[in-house]
Amino acid sequence: MKVVISGIGTISAAGFNLEESLCSMKNGKRNAGPVSLFPNVLPYPVFEVKDLAETVETKSIRTFFLAVTAAKEAFKDAGFSLPLSGVKAGICLGTTVASQLNDIEFYSAFKKYGNVDLKPVDRYLRGNISEALAYLIKATGPSVTVVNACSSGTDAIGIALSWLRSGNCDIVIAGGADELNRVPLCGFGSLGILSNSLCAPFDRDRTGLNLGEGAGILILEREDFYIKRGKTPLLYLSGYGSAADSYHLTAPHPEGKGLESAIKKALSDSGISKMDVCFVNAHGTGTIDNDKVESTVLSRVFGENVRYFSTKGYTGHTLGGAGGIEAVFSAAALKHGWIPASAGFLSKGDEIPVSPVAVNTTISGSFAVSTSLAFGGNNAAIVIEKV
Amino acid sequence: MEEVKEMNLADIRKLLKELLIESLSLEDIQPDEIADDEILFGEGLGLDSLDAVEIVVLLQRNFGLEVKDMKQGKEIFYSIDTLARYVYNNTRIK
Amino acid sequence: MFISGIGIIFTRGRGIDSFENALMQGWTDPSWTDSFPAYRVAKEVLSDAALSKKIRRADKFSKMAVFSALDAFKDSGITLNSNETIGIILATAFGPHTTTFSFIDDILDYGDAGVSPTKFSNSVHNAAASYISTVLGSCGPTVTLTDFSYPFQNALLLAESWLKEERCKHVLCGCVDELSVVMEYACKMKMKTAEDGKIRPFLFSDCPVSVLGEGAAFFMLSEEKCKNNYGEVSEIKLFGESKNNPDIIIIDADGMTGDESDYEKISNTGLPLAGYSPVFGSMKIGSAFNFAAASLMLKKQHVYRCPVLDNHSQMNLCSSTSETNITGINCVRICRSDQISIINIKK
Repeated sequence: MKVVISGIGTISAAGFNLEESLCSMKNGKRNAGPVSLFPNVLPYPVFEVKDLAETVETKSIRTFFLAVTAAKEAFKDAGFSLPLSGVKAGICLGTTVASQLNDIEFYSAFKKYGNVDLKPVDRYLRGNISEALAYLIKATGPSVTVVNACSSGTDAIGIALSWLRSGNCDIVIAGGADELNRVPLCGFGSLGILSNSLCAPFDRDRTGLNLGEGAGILILEREDFYIKRGKTPLLYLSGYGSAADSYHLTAPHPEGKGLESAIKKALSDSGISKMDVCFVNAHGTGTIDNDKVESTVLSRVFGENVRYFSTKGYTGHTLGGAGGIEAVFSAAALKHGWIPASAGFLSKGDEIPVSPVAVNTTISGSFAVSTSLAFGGNNAAIVIEKV
Repeated sequence: MEEVKEMNLADIRKLLKELLIESLSLEDIQPDEIADDEILFGEGLGLDSLDAVEIVVLLQRNFGLEVKDMKQGKEIFYSIDTLARYVYNNTRIK
Repeated sequence: MFISGIGIIFTRGRGIDSFENALMQGWTDPSWTDSFPAYRVAKEVLSDAALSKKIRRADKFSKMAVFSALDAFKDSGITLNSNETIGIILATAFGPHTTTFSFIDDILDYGDAGVSPTKFSNSVHNAAASYISTVLGSCGPTVTLTDFSYPFQNALLLAESWLKEERCKHVLCGCVDELSVVMEYACKMKMKTAEDGKIRPFLFSDCPVSVLGEGAAFFMLSEEKCKNNYGEVSEIKLFGESKNNPDIIIIDADGMTGDESDYEKISNTGLPLAGYSPVFGSMKIGSAFNFAAASLMLKKQHVYRCPVLDNHSQMNLCSSTSETNITGINCVRICRSDQISIINIKK
C-alpha cells in the first residue's frame, strides 16, 4: 500500500504560503528581526510570522492558528472542501509550545493571589492542536499530538504513514506547528545555543540557532483512496525511520549513531538505496554540535557527493513545526525541480566533511530525504518520492 | 554576593562544592569527596555539557559573574581549584 | 500483540505486586491537603539507588516514567540480543508541568537570561522517554504523545502498528501524569471533587465526582508470545462497536471527562462490570491502570471486587474478589458520546 502526498501547505517567516516561501528562498530573502510578540531583553534575532490575521481560530492559541492556516492551504491543494464528510481522516501533528501551559502572566498571578482567572487553562485544554483540528474539520479517525521536541513534525508524518498502511484511516493530516514563545526562547538561551546574529547552518563560523515559528502540513492519502477520487499521484511518502541515540538529554551522539540508523531505516522502509537519493533536506540548526554531527553522518551514509542543505536560514528553527515545514519544502523541491541554497553558509570548516549546497540548484531526481534531530536524542527521517 | 569579597580561597572552594552538588543534583556525593584538583568534566567527576551551562548560571546567580565564551569556560571549569581562583580574582576586581 | 510485562507507580507504591495488593485491598482514603483529596505518589517511592546516577537530573515526572518502564521491562524477563531494539511510546495528558512552572519561577525570579538550562531540558515533554531510552540502552524508535481524550489508546494503537511493520520486536508503551498545585487548583475550581474521597464509577452522572491521582503505568508489548504473558490485545477501537464478546467490561469512569451518562448504555449488558479508578485516582491516563487491572485478571484468572460499589442502576458489578474463568475483557473509555473506545484483551 503506497501513501500519496496529495496536498501541502506552510506558513513561516519565509512566507504566508508555499508560493511566498519558495519566492523568499529563490531570492535569498531572510525575514529575521528582534522579538515583537512579547517583551524580551534577550539579544537573539528570531523568525516571526508578522501581521498574522486574527480570525476565529485565534481564540484558541497562536500555534493552532498557524496549523490551521497551513492546513487550509494543504486541503485546497489536495482538492478537499471542509468540513470533511464521508472520509475517515486522522490527525497527527507535532508541536512543543502548544503542549505546555507556559502562560507566564497566568502563573505569576496564581502565585501572587492564589486564585486566578482560568481562561488560559481553558484555552490550553482546547489547544491540543490535533484534537482541536479534528474538532474543527469534523475528522472521524484517530487524532494525537506528537511531542518529540524538535523531531515532532517528522515523527508525526511517520506515525501518519503507519496509520494509513494499517488501514486505520483513508487520509491523515500530518505535520507540525509551533509558535514563538518566551519560555523556550529563555530555555534555548540558557543552553547557550542561540546566535546573536543570523544563523549560518554548516558554516565554519556558525554560533548557534535562531528560533522561528510556523507550520507545515501534508495531506496524506492511501493510494487506492486517492485514485478513487479520480486523481493521479505525483508525490508519495515512501518511508520513515526513527532511532534514539540513548546517549544524552540535550547533546547529540558524537558519531550520530541514532541519526545514521534513522536514515537507514527510512531508506529500507522505502525499499530504495542511498544511490537513489537526490538530495537531503537536513535538520541543520546552526549549532556547533548539531551541524558537525549531521554533516558527518550525511557524508558517511551518502558519500562525499551528497547534496544537502538547511532551510532554517529562511524559517529559523520552528521546533515542533520544523519537520512539517521541511517535509513541505522537500516535496515542493522534488515537484518544481530545484533546491535552495543553504542560507547562511559561506565557508566550510575542518569539522564539516562536505559543504552544503551553496547556490539554488536544478535537480531531476526522484527521491528526497528530510531529517530531524531532537532534544532527548530522538532522530527521525522520511523519504519523499516523485513519480 | 558582598560576603564573597570577604572569603578566602578555601572558603570559596567549599562553597562551590556545595553549590555544584545542589544545582547539578549530585546527591550521592559529599562536598569533601570532591578533591580540589579533580577534573570536573569527562573523566573525574564526570560532568557534561549540560552541567557546563548550569555552572554558567550558578556563577551568575551566586557571584554576579558572566562567562560568555565557553572556550574560556573550559579553562575556568577545569577543577574546583580553577573555578575558585576565577571567582576569587573576579569578585575582587569589581 | 502480547502483554509480556507491567510496571506501575501509583499512590500505593511501585510494581505490579503492589498494584495487585491494592486491588485486593480495595478502596482506601486519599491524602488530604488543605481539605483537598488526591491520590499522590509519595517521595520515598521515587528513589532508586541503582539508578540515581544515571537519572540524577530527572524530575518526578521522569522518575515515575523511568521506574515503571524499567519495571515493565524487568517483569517481562526478556533479554535482548545486541541487534534487537525496543520501541518506546510514552503518552501523557499534561506532561512535566511542575517543572515547566518551576522554570517560569526562574524567569520571574532571575530574568530571561538567568534561567536554569537543566530545568528547561526537563520541562520538555520527551525528556522522560529520553531517560528511559538512556537507562535501557535502547536505540529503537522513541516517541512521546499527548492527548486529552485517549492518550493510552493512541499509544497502544501506535505500538500495534510498529510491531506489525516490524520496526521493533517489543514496545515499552505507557502513560504518565503528575499532580501540581496549579492542576489541583484548576480541578478544584472546574470539577466536582468527591467530598468523602470516593470516586463513583457506576453512577453514570452527568456531573460526576473525582479524586485526582498521579502515577505511571508501562507495558512491555511483544509481537510474539513471551515467557511471561498476561494476555493478548486483540482489538483497539477508537470509534464504535467491538466485534468481541467479553466476559467482563471495565469502564474508565472517574470524573475526569465530564458527563458520564454515556457509560450506562455500554454497561447495561448484563455482563459483569468493573471499574478500578477509586484505587488509583482520576486521571486522563486512567485507562492504562484499568488496562493493567484487566491484564492481571486474565493472567491470574481472578476477578477483583470493585473498590466502590455505589450502584443505582442495578448493574451486575463485580462485587467480590474470587477465582473465575475469564477469556476476554473489554476496557471502555468514553470522552464524547460519538466516540466510544474499546480495547479487547484475551487470555
